[in-house]
Amino acid sequence: MIPLSIWDKFKKIKNDDWKSLLKLSTDFQSTYYFNEKTNERFGFHFYATLVDEQIIQESALPALLTKKFESLDDLHRIVPIADIHILKNPRDIEQKLLNGYVLVTLDSDKNRFGFIAAQKEIVRSLSQPEIEFSVIGPKEAFVEAIGQNLNLIRKRLPIKELISQEYTVGKLSKTKVAVLHIEGITNKDNVDTVKQRIKNIEIDTISDSSNIVELLSDNSNSLFPQLLDTERPDRVAAILAEGKIAIIVDGSPHVLIAPTTLIEFFSAFEDYFLNWIVATFFRLVRFFAVVFSVLVTPIYVAAMTYQYELIPPDLLGILVTSRRTIPLPPILEALFLELTIELLREAGARLPTKVGQTIGIVGGIVIGTASVEAGLTSNVLLIFVALGALGSFTTPVYKMGNTIRVLRFPFLLFAQFWGVLGILFCFCILIAHLLRLTSLGRPFLAPIYPLRVADMKDTLIRAPLQKMYRRPHVLRTQKPKRFNKKKAENPKDIDE
Amino acid sequence: MQSQTIPNNLKISPYLVFYVMISMQIGIGILGYQRIIADYAGHDAWISILILGVYIHIVLWMMYKLCEMVNGDIITVHEFLFGRFISKVASFAFVLFYITYLLSFILNFIEVIQIWMFPDINNFAFSVLFLLLAIYIVYGGLRTVVGICFFGTILPAYLVFTFTFTLKYADFTHLLPIWEHKFTELLQASYHMSLTSVGFEAILFIYPFINQPQKSKKWAHIGVATTTIFYTVLAIIAFSYFSKKQLENTIWATLSMWQMVQFPFVERFEYIGVANWCLILLPNICLSLWIASRLLKRATKLKQRKGAILISAISVIIVTFFEKGVDIERFNQIVERMSFAFVFVYVPLLYCLSLIIKKVKKT
Repeated sequence: MIPLSIWDKFKKIKNDDWKSLLKLSTDFQSTYYFNEKTNERFGFHFYATLVDEQIIQESALPALLTKKFESLDDLHRIVPIADIHILKNPRDIEQKLLNGYVLVTLDSDKNRFGFIAAQKEIVRSLSQPEIEFSVIGPKEAFVEAIGQNLNLIRKRLPIKELISQEYTVGKLSKTKVAVLHIEGITNKDNVDTVKQRIKNIEIDTISDSSNIVELLSDNSNSLFPQLLDTERPDRVAAILAEGKIAIIVDGSPHVLIAPTTLIEFFSAFEDYFLNWIVATFFRLVRFFAVVFSVLVTPIYVAAMTYQYELIPPDLLGILVTSRRTIPLPPILEALFLELTIELLREAGARLPTKVGQTIGIVGGIVIGTASVEAGLTSNVLLIFVALGALGSFTTPVYKMGNTIRVLRFPFLLFAQFWGVLGILFCFCILIAHLLRLTSLGRPFLAPIYPLRVADMKDTLIRAPLQKMYRRPHVLRTQKPKRFNKKKAENPKDIDE
Repeated sequence: MQSQTIPNNLKISPYLVFYVMISMQIGIGILGYQRIIADYAGHDAWISILILGVYIHIVLWMMYKLCEMVNGDIITVHEFLFGRFISKVASFAFVLFYITYLLSFILNFIEVIQIWMFPDINNFAFSVLFLLLAIYIVYGGLRTVVGICFFGTILPAYLVFTFTFTLKYADFTHLLPIWEHKFTELLQASYHMSLTSVGFEAILFIYPFINQPQKSKKWAHIGVATTTIFYTVLAIIAFSYFSKKQLENTIWATLSMWQMVQFPFVERFEYIGVANWCLILLPNICLSLWIASRLLKRATKLKQRKGAILISAISVIIVTFFEKGVDIERFNQIVERMSFAFVFVYVPLLYCLSLIIKKVKKT
């Protein structure tokens, strides 16, 4: 589409000038009709691709043709559509037309313009969450349309305190961005920070909420995502109630959550639907998987290159036997396999699902066994690398999974430099980096540092729902308590 | 050089002082202090640790009194007592003190690595990388530095359990008879324990950064007491595990004890132990760097960022000039004297002086 900001060049726009540029698009239509009662000529101007013609034909046009239509003010009275504006400034025309309004002009009233809302909403139907799938729990996921997403959230939080404020971001894309919070719970500073940062965004197009993540992050050079994105309306409703802020971006099926902490990226929302002991167990498994996934190949490299004394004799025997015929040093062997896994993942992600599956089988079985048989890699390392890859896929948030996968490469390099010492050194770097990270100015490592024992109820463990009667301290909410603890527990004595 | 007011969002919670104390006290000395104190007081040396521990509490109490007097750090104390010029001189002295402190950590750690892991590790490369990391942390402000203190205490805490492996072979009769040595011998051992126990003087410099410093007092004392108890227990374990002759020949007693640790998946645990020291030393180095660069800023108006880089560069240059072994031994002796003089002699003197000067000023 032609950028219409050329409008601004005209200091005074004559009332008919607005047409000259619009006419260049073939989907822009102008038609003229005569009112049956007054015989006034009026014009309909709209982008055929943006408006719903059914609305025009069934509601707007019959009314304007048959009922008495003398001045533009009559629009409010005779057209059965609520969203009608009458404006004087020709500069507003462009924006309204592009937002899916129909411009109504009246020959006898050339200084004013009437607008009738007739947006065509192309929405896809709700589908199941694909990234954050859960066996138990709600099965609806967000879609691309902002209105529908808001509807999904409002249905779960039918309270007037749920405030949504809309902004337009992007000079060309004019993307709608809505900031949601619950008045009276959410910390005001946090809300203001988000709003201020959204207002300050200077960019031409926004393609997805991921763009907003990058632009809102405290440190956009970090490997770690600092805003959580989710496709689950239930999760968004829950975090809003917790006192956080949700950001909906039009055209993106992922809603952003801020501020977040590192721990949150490892908690699946399904945890809250399971028994708390089971959920805690799963969480611990997940944490172990992540640590294992990052460290296992580096430790292999460290032990095989420098500190083989670390490994007990029996285990060392197995390792040495498996490595006996391998011509490559451990680091190359590890890099070879790790990169193979990354290749498989990347190929699988870029291909259609069915072909992707085939690639997975070909890669996993054929390349794996073949490289071991060819003597390029040891089968022990193959097990480690495969397990490590599996571990990295257990992170419930996709973006964090990517981070975890990249994270092992610096560890590998340091392991090659200084063995176990290098791994620990790299770990120190990681901790230092995480300590410096903030999400909307709130510490990213909370509640571990700064330590808040009360907030630990929803971290490595998932405490019973009734024990989590306080909102996280780190959010500094206006109402620290969620519900009355005593009422919820309702203790009964043995003989009652 | 007015003591600037610190914005609240840069301050740390009082309880974090606990971790600062522990992580600053536990440094390189813990790896081999047992032999040194046993040289003077034999199997009674654990009493010396307790004696020193009591003295540390008194000194810590004095430090808090000094800081409370002016509601600022030790430089403000100097300014209050002796005027601006002396306080500037003192700042420079402390900058030098912390640079040597920092050097002693890096040099000793490199030595440990050379003896236990990599005989040929490059002094230059290692110190550059380590200090770059320290600079990165210092750039995050005191909150990040204290965060490193926190993790430097919490994460390696599991190592405490590894010492239980030696209990199987411990013979506690080694400790008997109790109090066989002269009191002067015990005091001598206490003196040589001092380098291992210092670090808590950091409170003199971070005091203005503590939120409600009154509340932090309790935590500081608990922290110091924890370290003292830990040192005592570790010494007792070492004395009962090693025979007297053995201990005389064991430079790194703590590391040697790890040779007893065995897991089904780890054969030689001391490698992991030494590697863990990376994380334990990091707080010491970072906080030293932070203190030195901040003092430099207060004395010369040099930006703290630039100061941190300058100090690190100087440290790296000095580290590359050091030779193995003898040099470091001599250097450690200097650091020991210096830290003892500062923490255990100068601070009490300063406290007494402050009482007198306050009286004089009143009248």
